[in-house]
Amino acid sequence: MQILKIVFKKHFLFLMLVFAAFGSVNAQSAKNKVHSDKGWSLFGALTLNNQLVNDKGITAPINYLYSSVNNNVFKPGYSGGFRYDGVSKRNNYYSLSFAINRVSAGTSYTNKYTLAPFLEDFTHFKADNQFTTLSVAAHYKILLPVNEMRKYKFYAVLGPSLDYKISTISAEHLINGSGNRAFVNGDLGAEFDNKGHYALYAHYKLGCNVANSSVPTTLNRFELGMSIKVKDLF
Amino acid sequence: MKQLYTLLIAAFTLTLFACNKETSTTQTNVMNSMLTNKTWYLDYSITSGTTKSYVGQSTYFVTYLKDGSIKDSDGLTGSYTVELIAGKSQIHEQVKTANGNPLEVIYDIISVGESKMVLSKQVTSGTPTQLYFTNK
Repeated sequence: MQILKIVFKKHFLFLMLVFAAFGSVNAQSAKNKVHSDKGWSLFGALTLNNQLVNDKGITAPINYLYSSVNNNVFKPGYSGGFRYDGVSKRNNYYSLSFAINRVSAGTSYTNKYTLAPFLEDFTHFKADNQFTTLSVAAHYKILLPVNEMRKYKFYAVLGPSLDYKISTISAEHLINGSGNRAFVNGDLGAEFDNKGHYALYAHYKLGCNVANSSVPTTLNRFELGMSIKVKDLF
Repeated sequence: MKQLYTLLIAAFTLTLFACNKETSTTQTNVMNSMLTNKTWYLDYSITSGTTKSYVGQSTYFVTYLKDGSIKDSDGLTGSYTVELIAGKSQIHEQVKTANGNPLEVIYDIISVGESKMVLSKQVTSGTPTQLYFTNK
């Protein structure tokens, strides 16, 4: 998993270029672009969240029992916002979105410490596992050549997004400069567009701290959501 | 492009409302919150490699209160502070004996948590004594 993350981070730009090239070839063939591809939508999603915390940089002499803070599961959250779907002059599909996310994350700690002979299995840090973020995402959409493209459209989606914590960070989470607010994510997913009336989507987001932190954190999220055109609502 | 600018301005505006950061007292406040309103019972002590157990018997205990006061099983009462000095976390206790004699006791915090604490008592000579506390 660590190797995959390193490869993903190192070659992110290269992968983006590859997909952009593929997308431009794909877009050239999609000459019958439908103008319902453009427009503002509102969306809502259910999310499953997990964070991996590495407290290697904590120097404060604090102990939290590992069994009471470690919870390596995906917990449910939700997000909502609005997005703009567009088609560029080169017939490339894209979307820009803005969301508020309520994240409730299972937390897995990579390090377990022992202080012989009396303290066993503890961590030096306790991460906030519930917080609210604002996110901005820019996604490149690749139209997939499947049947009935006049009615239904399938897209592969990828692109970066940025999350910024707006909820109060607990004092435990601020220890030793660990209270980073900004996360950058790489998003990958699929979307189903039903004649421009609504779209269903599934995204995976892999995120990490933007700046160096004494507690590097990796955020894993799955989103299942739906968007509806604003003009159909109002 | 206009839409991207709109989104970025909206995001930036909302982030202005999100501001709390670490201060010089964050670490001591967190450690203090773990100590206070609890009675800590001495379970073990280690001096020069020799471990002494007090589990299951009448033992020394100390209570740290939220108002900064302290009282222990030896009858000492007074006040305490949690301080960070030269990278070391310490508990400074200013107490008076039952006879009214003032006394200062300083402990180095080896590790403090919600239910377990390890302190090292400073001594004028020899190796410090490690003290292991739990609250019940």
